[in-house]
Amino acid sequence: MRNVKKALTAALLASTVMVAPVFAAGTLTISSPQDPGNWDPIDTFLVNWASVATNIFDGLTYRGPDLELVPGLATGWDELDDGQRIRFTLREDVVFHNGEPFNAEAVRFTFERLLGEQGAAGPQQSNYVAISEVEVIDDYTVDFHLSEPDPVLLTKLAGYGAMIVPPQYIAEHGEEHFDNNPVGTGPFSFVSYSPREEIRLEAFADHWDGAPELDNVVYRFITEPSTAVAELQAGRVDIVIPPTIPVGMIPTIEAHEGISVVTVPSPTVQALRFNTQSGITADENVRKAIIYAIDRQAIIESILGGEAEPITSFQSPLAFGYDPDMELVPYDPDKAMALLAEAGIGAGATLQIDVRGNDSTFNEVAQAVSAYLSVVGINATIQPYETNVLINDIIPEGRTGEMFQQAWGGWTFDYDNTAYLMYHTGERWNPYDSDPELDALLNGQRSITDRAEREAMLQEIARYTADRALEVPLYNVNAIYGVSDRVENFEAAPDSRLRLTRVSVGE
Amino acid sequence: MAKFIFYRILQAIFVVFAVTLTVSFAIRLTGDPAIMLSQGAGSITEADLERIREALGLNRPFLVQYWDFVSGVFVGDFGRSFMGGTSVGALIARALPATLMLALVSLFLSIVISIPLGITAAVSRGKWADQAIRILSLVGLSFPNFWLAIMLVLVFSITFRLLPPSGMEGPISFIMPAATMAIILTATNVRLVRTTMLETLRSQYVMVARAKGLSETKVLYKHALRNCAIPLVTYFGLQFGGLLGGIVVIERVFNWPGLGTLAFEAVAARDYPVLQAVITVLSLLIVSINLLVDIAYGLLDPRIRTE
Repeated sequence: MRNVKKALTAALLASTVMVAPVFAAGTLTISSPQDPGNWDPIDTFLVNWASVATNIFDGLTYRGPDLELVPGLATGWDELDDGQRIRFTLREDVVFHNGEPFNAEAVRFTFERLLGEQGAAGPQQSNYVAISEVEVIDDYTVDFHLSEPDPVLLTKLAGYGAMIVPPQYIAEHGEEHFDNNPVGTGPFSFVSYSPREEIRLEAFADHWDGAPELDNVVYRFITEPSTAVAELQAGRVDIVIPPTIPVGMIPTIEAHEGISVVTVPSPTVQALRFNTQSGITADENVRKAIIYAIDRQAIIESILGGEAEPITSFQSPLAFGYDPDMELVPYDPDKAMALLAEAGIGAGATLQIDVRGNDSTFNEVAQAVSAYLSVVGINATIQPYETNVLINDIIPEGRTGEMFQQAWGGWTFDYDNTAYLMYHTGERWNPYDSDPELDALLNGQRSITDRAEREAMLQEIARYTADRALEVPLYNVNAIYGVSDRVENFEAAPDSRLRLTRVSVGE
Repeated sequence: MAKFIFYRILQAIFVVFAVTLTVSFAIRLTGDPAIMLSQGAGSITEADLERIREALGLNRPFLVQYWDFVSGVFVGDFGRSFMGGTSVGALIARALPATLMLALVSLFLSIVISIPLGITAAVSRGKWADQAIRILSLVGLSFPNFWLAIMLVLVFSITFRLLPPSGMEGPISFIMPAATMAIILTATNVRLVRTTMLETLRSQYVMVARAKGLSETKVLYKHALRNCAIPLVTYFGLQFGGLLGGIVVIERVFNWPGLGTLAFEAVAARDYPVLQAVITVLSLLIVSINLLVDIAYGLLDPRIRTE
């Protein structure tokens, strides 16, 4: 027995040595909720691809945490021929991680690959169809010929599919090798990848923007929030990136020494959209009444721990097209009841709210909404669906209740990307409404390249949808990061694309 | 005996076939992976979705897809994950050993603990030791396994920082997940061992052994325990099958890189090839274990063989 005890003590001691944070100086460990399974820019659509790959690849343009579009691999650009042609001047003396030079040929290769057969099998191609040809002018100048002007193109060039890839490397090793062994021009180069477990990167000292402070970065894929937070608390993970930590776990992290929560407004917005075709919500006055009946500020305070901002239209304040002068519809149950009376809706009217069943936070929000609606005499039932069923079958097929949850994360930060898909006749997210006037506005803004003019038009669209009360715009949620105190120069990115060039770790 | 084994194997093949067919069919009712794959990609048209479906082979009739899968399995090709095109065979090759090792360690731990405890309870029937063991077992039964797992993490990883809260980084990583599973298993196993032992102790040959003047230890471990073996082997064998199913939750909490985690993520992503493969492998495993138990049972007990 004594020997057993001794052995146990020894084992525990040994384990202590093994488990105590054994970070090499300069190694940062990040917990990410999902393995995209493929590191090729044209094969993915996942935010958690970007949160890793933004350190491996560069685009012609770059959009950092401040969401300003700045030069990336292109040092400048000119719009020519009324926006039908964009000329890019490329950065010189840039090399890929394998030593291959970056030049106009690499740009042409990247886009021909994206727009050709290889890109057709992936989800990125459709974002870039406005590009008809990429013409090499000289080694460091390329012309993008556009079939139609695309006002969001420069932003999209900082996006996933437009990351510049190495032509020789891919020709030499093949597409499949590239999927699992990515090479780019970014600040960190690829080291190793274990599917569903982790990906390791190391600093690329020759990066054009200067060598990174860190030596190594490890991304571990941890799906379960409580597990990711336990790793953070145990000091084995330095940063937990969104979307992992639910609002409810913030106090746990705050209470633990040595780690903290950093939040930043994200592009993700939540709305309860209306069935404008049938049920009591076919009546505009009823829809307006419902918006007046819900105290969004109270919901944010009590359920979301203050980690959200109410929105006036279905976009975040970060989006291009957001109108800061638009006023929030106030909480006013009396006005709601008056509007309902006007619409001939008496107490006891019923409606159904469809939500994503596994979104526990939103289920609480839906219950609060239902309670507010009962105050004005509407009995709301909540119908939870499995997320995929809701977005695959129920919404596109027009089989929702009178109201349904829509979460949207417009990564382009441009209202067009939301509004067109939500309101244009025949779009898959718009099963109920058809409004020629709105269609005309939505089509019109797409051909305007003047930024100010287009912004005004997008703002007009937002006001138009508010006038027709097409949805209850609920709130814009914050992206929640869990961060160890040993991380220095950390800046939370709204879109989870953490570029780690300037980040360092202390002891 | 040969005939008995032959029929059992036929049955096993039929079961595996039925399971894969059901799973392949059922998961296709739950939604379109093309939409899952294109979310966040911006403006998606029906033509885009059609293109993605074609690339994934989803536009073919169900039976063609199923046949493709089954014929692939026979040559060891499980296809490619919809999530990034990773080889499913490679994913399974990593996950299966992780799950098997965890399951075996848990079962072994549980057997090692429950046999002496069960025997002690049976021998001291009605006395305080028996009562204590039975109460402990009831407590063990009442824990939900994920709660127990989270409590262990809180104490051993966060408060004392002795054990890693997740991942598989060597023998030390087995401690908490295996302990969680073993505690839950032991709770039932102790009761089983106790009941079986009580029955055996009442039999005449035990009385004879005692009358011969053998020591109590010899009576218990040499004569009685051997005769308990038949029901216990069957039960532990069958339990191993159930264990593989129950491991999903534990794997998720501990981020264990096993079949459970793989299956869980495959369901969420509508990753048909991965889910089909995991279920096929699991059902093959469970069916073969049951088969082995049946055969072992027949070997241990001639009465069953001759029936």
